Amino acid sequence: MPGFEMVNSKVVKVRLGSPVIARRGAMLGYTGDVRFVPHGVPGGAGAGGLGGLAGGLARRMAGEHEATMEATGQGEVWYGFRGSHVTIVDIAPGQVMLVEADRLLCHDVTLQASTAFIGQGGMRAAVSGMMSGQGLFTTQLSGQGSAVLLSHGETFSLPIDQSRNVAVDPQAYVAALGQVKVEVSAKVGWREAVGKGSGEAIQLRCTGSGTVFVQASEEKL
Amino acid sequence: MARFQLKSSRVLQAHLAGDTARAITGAMVAYEGDISFKSTGIGGSGGLGAAVKRRMTGESLQLMDMKGSGVVYLAKGAMEIQLVQLAGDKLSVESSSLLALDTDLRTDVAFAGLRGASSGQGLFTTTVSGNGTVALLSDGPMIALEVSPQYPLVVDPDAFIAHRGQVTQTFITDISWRNVIGEDSGEAFSLRFDGSGVVYIQPAER
Repeated sequence: MPGFEMVNSKVVKVRLGSPVIARRGAMLGYTGDVRFVPHGVPGGAGAGGLGGLAGGLARRMAGEHEATMEATGQGEVWYGFRGSHVTIVDIAPGQVMLVEADRLLCHDVTLQASTAFIGQGGMRAAVSGMMSGQGLFTTQLSGQGSAVLLSHGETFSLPIDQSRNVAVDPQAYVAALGQVKVEVSAKVGWREAVGKGSGEAIQLRCTGSGTVFVQASEEKL
Repeated sequence: MARFQLKSSRVLQAHLAGDTARAITGAMVAYEGDISFKSTGIGGSGGLGAAVKRRMTGESLQLMDMKGSGVVYLAKGAMEIQLVQLAGDKLSVESSSLLALDTDLRTDVAFAGLRGASSGQGLFTTTVSGNGTVALLSDGPMIALEVSPQYPLVVDPDAFIAHRGQVTQTFITDISWRNVIGEDSGEAFSLRFDGSGVVYIQPAER
């Protein structure tokens, strides 16, 4: 199992044991004998991940896709992306992480990535998902291993359980871990219609149990 | 009174127990509990007079009231946050550097002198007065510089965040033939502070 380690708030280092999947272009440097091959695309060396070819196609179609590469071999690799802050998240068996593809820097090959449709709430949820810029699809990671998230400004985590009512700004939402359901709730009143709103009309309501990761900014990556 | 607390250098927590706190619109990144958000209108907390002045001067400040019980997490643009306590005195602040404030504090618009005409900061500045806490935004760690009668202070208008105390502000220029031919130092316009008080700046130029 590779171990991820923070070098500073914007760079992670990984000691390769088993391979690591990373966003293409995110490698900053490496030592040792490491090879980088395209990952998850038809014809690529490693058609890993859940669904293989079909999964790759689904991600393409959903627009929930970032070109990835797989680092194999022995050595250490440093990853970073455009000066964004990084957060290391450990995923335990049975937990699911929901994250937008462009928020994912790298993860263990032991984690299965698939594309999930988040418009479960019917047409209304689908439409509000589009309105909030969240898109209709999200990347879902499951299995055991670690993933590294990208954010503008550092992230903080909020615990989710039945006793708490937690809502997150769609632009500040980064990822959710555990058994968390993320729904769009819109409270659009006449004030929003005349442009005098509080700017908080569309929120993501988090229910279930787990953790939600939020960044200190309302900027998309 | 609502309680402000820093969760990290870039995230502010506002603890509400049935009371109200004020923040610039859109600054909420997450909340727990039962909170409602409502725009205070263009006057902010300054009443009709301030509303008219804001309209006329274009020193815009969009505030919202956060009401209910729970915790609101506030952040903006991954900028660093600093809390400033006011005890009956007045803080003059760039409206783009204001994040949140207690509802007991009053906001108004004041003429800031002829700076800004070139620096793009506008001729007017927002003032906050009363008793309570103000959360300021700074691109990088905020620096507080003291001004005393013996030691006047000169700062770059693009790095200026706020000032408090008995301070007078003047706009100084250093324009010569070098500016005309483009060989200037890039520091032709500066803000000079005389008196005694504190000036807050950020380690970045807007």
